[in-house]
Amino acid sequence: MAPHDLRRPFKRPAISDQERRREQSLLRQAQSRRDAQRHARFLASTAFSLPSE
Amino acid sequence: VAGIELPHKQWPELIAALLSNVHQLPAPTRQATLETLGYVCEEVSPDVVDQDHVNKILTAVVQGMNSTEENNDVRLAAIRALYNALGFAQANFSNDMERDYIMRIVCETTLSPELKIRRAAFECLVAISSTYYEKLAPYIQDIFNITAKAVRGDEEPVALQAIEFWSSICDEEIDILEEYGGDFSGDSDVPCFYFIKQALPFLVPMLLETLLKQEEDQDQDEGAWNIAMAGGTCLGLVARTVGDDIVPLVMPFIQENITKPDWRQREAATYAFGSILEGPSPDKLVPLVNMALDFMLTALMKDPNNHVKDTTAWTLGRMFEFLHGSALDSPIITPKNIQQIITVLLQSMKDVPNVAEKACGALYFLAQGYEDAGSASSPLTPFFTEIVHALLTVTHREDAGESRLRTAAYEALNEVVRCSNDETAPMVVQLVPLIMTELHQTLENQSDERQNELQGLLCGCLQVIIQKLGSSELTKYHFMQYADQIMGLFLRVFASRSATAHEEAMLAIGALAYATGSDFAKYMTEFYKYLEMGLQNFEDYQVCAITVGVVGDVCRALEEKILPYCDGIMTQLLKDLSSNQLHRSVKPPIFSCFGDIALAIGENFEKYLLYAMPMLQSAAELSAHTAGADDDMTEYTNSLRNGILEAYSGIFQGFKGSPKTQLLMPYAPHVLQFLDSLYMEKDMDDVVTKTAIGVLGDLADTLGGNAGPLIQQSVSSKDFLKECLSSDDHLVKESAEWAKLAISRAISF
Repeated sequence: MAPHDLRRPFKRPAISDQERRREQSLLRQAQSRRDAQRHARFLASTAFSLPSE
Repeated sequence: VAGIELPHKQWPELIAALLSNVHQLPAPTRQATLETLGYVCEEVSPDVVDQDHVNKILTAVVQGMNSTEENNDVRLAAIRALYNALGFAQANFSNDMERDYIMRIVCETTLSPELKIRRAAFECLVAISSTYYEKLAPYIQDIFNITAKAVRGDEEPVALQAIEFWSSICDEEIDILEEYGGDFSGDSDVPCFYFIKQALPFLVPMLLETLLKQEEDQDQDEGAWNIAMAGGTCLGLVARTVGDDIVPLVMPFIQENITKPDWRQREAATYAFGSILEGPSPDKLVPLVNMALDFMLTALMKDPNNHVKDTTAWTLGRMFEFLHGSALDSPIITPKNIQQIITVLLQSMKDVPNVAEKACGALYFLAQGYEDAGSASSPLTPFFTEIVHALLTVTHREDAGESRLRTAAYEALNEVVRCSNDETAPMVVQLVPLIMTELHQTLENQSDERQNELQGLLCGCLQVIIQKLGSSELTKYHFMQYADQIMGLFLRVFASRSATAHEEAMLAIGALAYATGSDFAKYMTEFYKYLEMGLQNFEDYQVCAITVGVVGDVCRALEEKILPYCDGIMTQLLKDLSSNQLHRSVKPPIFSCFGDIALAIGENFEKYLLYAMPMLQSAAELSAHTAGADDDMTEYTNSLRNGILEAYSGIFQGFKGSPKTQLLMPYAPHVLQFLDSLYMEKDMDDVVTKTAIGVLGDLADTLGGNAGPLIQQSVSSKDFLKECLSSDDHLVKESAEWAKLAISRAISF
């Protein structure tokens, strides 16, 4: 039950550059995953439309 | 012991026995008893202590705090016990009389002659402000008087807690107002009582006074925390809470003090200005910043006091952070003043480390404002080489280890690279061998904390460069000449024992895999062992999480060439999922990673189905229902659902067109059932909705007519699909269109 440490960030940005690098990597990965999925689905959709043409 | 036994109802007489101690026994026993009750409350969850016991604990504690208790040690133990028991007191705080009584005693205790008791009483008030914000209205005026007296006249440890009370109220109101979403149409469980807005005319002058109580050289001391720092931080939170209303209350203080001969007054005025730059509208602030900018630049160059220069550079950084960028109508940085701004910032980077660090920080935000400018000409272009050169010089300063200066310089360099464009890309390419040489040197030196930190920074910088140059075919072509050497350096970083360096090297390798594509295969023999090591790193779970993401990058880069490594990777990922040691946040990305692997290796995923599918199935069952979960849990559950659905999506798409698709048929009923239960639950976020409806399409696409009757029976294929088709979110709509197409094809078979 020691006294609570109440220091808050002082003159520091809310998000560090390291956190930004991590977030940007995650965003890039999520985007690449979406692209890969979309590509797979696009191939399938094109295949669908072929017989009807 | 109580922490272990009480939840299992194994020591029911404990609390009654402790309570029987608190009345007549000698003071040391009463003190020890209250301390024990405090520890029990700290350790044990509120739901394992029944209300009758809670009432008795609170009665005993409040009695111990009463001014009639003559022994200070007993009073202190009692107030600290109350601090820990607050989480138990929901029912008591809902009862007006009981709450009035507790609050009266806590407020009285803030007046004790004993410093430690006063501080502990204010700590209780801080805890009450966040736990029982909505119950505070009847007491807020009294609390203001008490805190104002403490801030103005009490000793520092007490005054700091009193300021923290208002910072904590700001935190609560910022959260509530954010939930309202600005237009009051959102719903927050707790109403905003606007305590800060009401207290503003008294609160702001009190905080401004604190700014004048700086300590000499506080900026050189990393661990410093004093009244001026706490007051300025609180002022910044107040500005975020009330917005424009703070400006007229602070401006006279700034104008009066900013030119005074006493450095404390100049610094306080500058700190006040910097503190209120987040919150009020640009309309209100931009004219003020335009008036002040020239003065600030001169102060940064010429003020004789380092403390003033430090705060001035920080304030310039805040101006650029909040009031500069393509989203703002009226720019504060113009073709007229940009030259002067950059000259001053680069000059300041030669100042003492703490000032130079803030100058790097200001440059970071200055560059960030141009990040969205696109490939067209940027106002930074003419200064690009000069800026990069100045930042590299800073990283080589003898004293760059002080005040985070080296880190700030590399971070600014990263941001300058991020906002480079077609014109400046050749300069970024030239930077590659320079940074590689630096990294090479750290690897030749003896490994110590400083070298490891530097390796982390250099890998971080290379990651940003790879990502930037990899984003266009032309720059990627120029970069690729260095790929082999860079990979060699990254692999050597794994010999160090620093988790941060590993994490940064891993992130950089992910970016490299993305940029290199299938050529990355040549690095796999050597890289694989580090990949496995990363997946086994439960302790530094961030390293593990990043490695999981990199497995995804490598799968997309190599496609079927990843196959020889999949047994090892899948074994490790399955172990990770079964582990109780691994942080839960890593589990959703592991499921997504199953999808990445399956999409890369297609029907070869067959041998993992027997292990992966039951894992997915049991996680799906767990995540289907969120009833009674708090916001954090709901968010986690949604990320888990998304991971599971991405796994299903990758698996179905991976098997598409293979003669082995029938292997997936036995799993289809469960997947559809999972989708149905998610739909019924009605608490998916848009991301999960998009992934879920996509899975429906993938299932129909891969299983085709065989799954037709099953699909037709599911609610998802009707109501859920219909809802998604008319969604406002275009990604949801796009996935729904896909599902509709795939289903109609499956059913028509």
